[in-house]
Amino acid sequence: MRSPRILEVWRLGTVNYLKFLKIQDKLVSERKAHQIPDTLLSLEHPPTYTLGKRRTDHNLLIPQSQLTKIGAELHYTQRGGDITFHGPHQAILYPIISLRSIGFGARNYVETLERSMIEFASMYGVKARPGNKCETGVWVGDRKIGAIGVRISSGITCHGLAFNIDPDLNYFEHIVPCGIADKEVTSLRRETDALLPSEEVIHKQLITCLAKAFSYDDVLWKEDPSVILDTQR
Amino acid sequence: MALRLMLASYRIASHLRISVSHRAFSSVVLKDLKYADSHEWVKIEGNKATVGITDHAQEHLGDVVYVELPDVGRSVSQGESFGAVESVKATSDINSPISGKVLQVNKDLSESPALVNSSPYEEGWIIKVELSDAGEVKKLMESDKYSKFCEEEDAKH
Repeated sequence: MRSPRILEVWRLGTVNYLKFLKIQDKLVSERKAHQIPDTLLSLEHPPTYTLGKRRTDHNLLIPQSQLTKIGAELHYTQRGGDITFHGPHQAILYPIISLRSIGFGARNYVETLERSMIEFASMYGVKARPGNKCETGVWVGDRKIGAIGVRISSGITCHGLAFNIDPDLNYFEHIVPCGIADKEVTSLRRETDALLPSEEVIHKQLITCLAKAFSYDDVLWKEDPSVILDTQR
Repeated sequence: MALRLMLASYRIASHLRISVSHRAFSSVVLKDLKYADSHEWVKIEGNKATVGITDHAQEHLGDVVYVELPDVGRSVSQGESFGAVESVKATSDINSPISGKVLQVNKDLSESPALVNSSPYEEGWIIKVELSDAGEVKKLMESDKYSKFCEEEDAKH
């Protein structure tokens, strides 16, 4: 009889990107050392553009000097994927989980992240689909609603997914999102007439869809985010 | 003539061992290589080694679109990351099965990263290393053990 699979979830509110990177580094080390179980961060970022390992900064369409004028930051990361935007009213999930314990490779992992977002979208009557080859992510027709960019190191995941609830889509005008030039970006707000509940409820639903897709037996909701936000410890 | 062809193909086939699992695909495992549990292979020739990722690894990655190669001359350590591959918006670290100094990197992978998928044991080789500790090879798996390891891993989901 195998031991139950537990996912610990921290809901952190709005977190500055650099602060998030520090938290993530700490959690990844702890997960690799088996000091913590599979962990999920649920949060939002202030307006932030991020690039992946390939540093495709030609897909940023405004000079970096203009970023402060539009109230945004730019960060380079080691994740896969191209340039993307994160901002208020976009739900972000960062799973820090062991893929070896479920025998997953990158492809299975990313496909399960896609399925989580598709299942979540269907709760609002939105028919989303996974991307075609080279278009990893979640789409409604030809419009992208969810993005993925992850890193896997010694079988432990970091970075994750971003689902557009109702972000300011104008920010996406300043990039070639995910390096795909001729496709639109959309949001749950745009794709459904359904009444959207509070963002707290929405985040919880998205988390539950992910936990179900990865067959977790139990989700432990951690109540005190200050424990994890204090990276000085 | 036909007999010679048959014998030749039998000799080639005996160098290969196809591992068959319950799953839809089976991955290729070569007899004369050694394997790490992070799915890298190493071919030892004297005090030199060639390193790549296995057929099982490339299947589980998806289409490789980018390979980050180390600099020639840098040292690598057994079990530690020396580079990465990107596929399906995921960067996955590649760990070295042995310790030593990088003598050569496969520059073809910059233009054609998909070689890792189409030819993981030949044209998709990643680095060549001068070994610093030949004894480390004992910690790696033989082909039989690696095949079994892959089957066990795939059975987890």
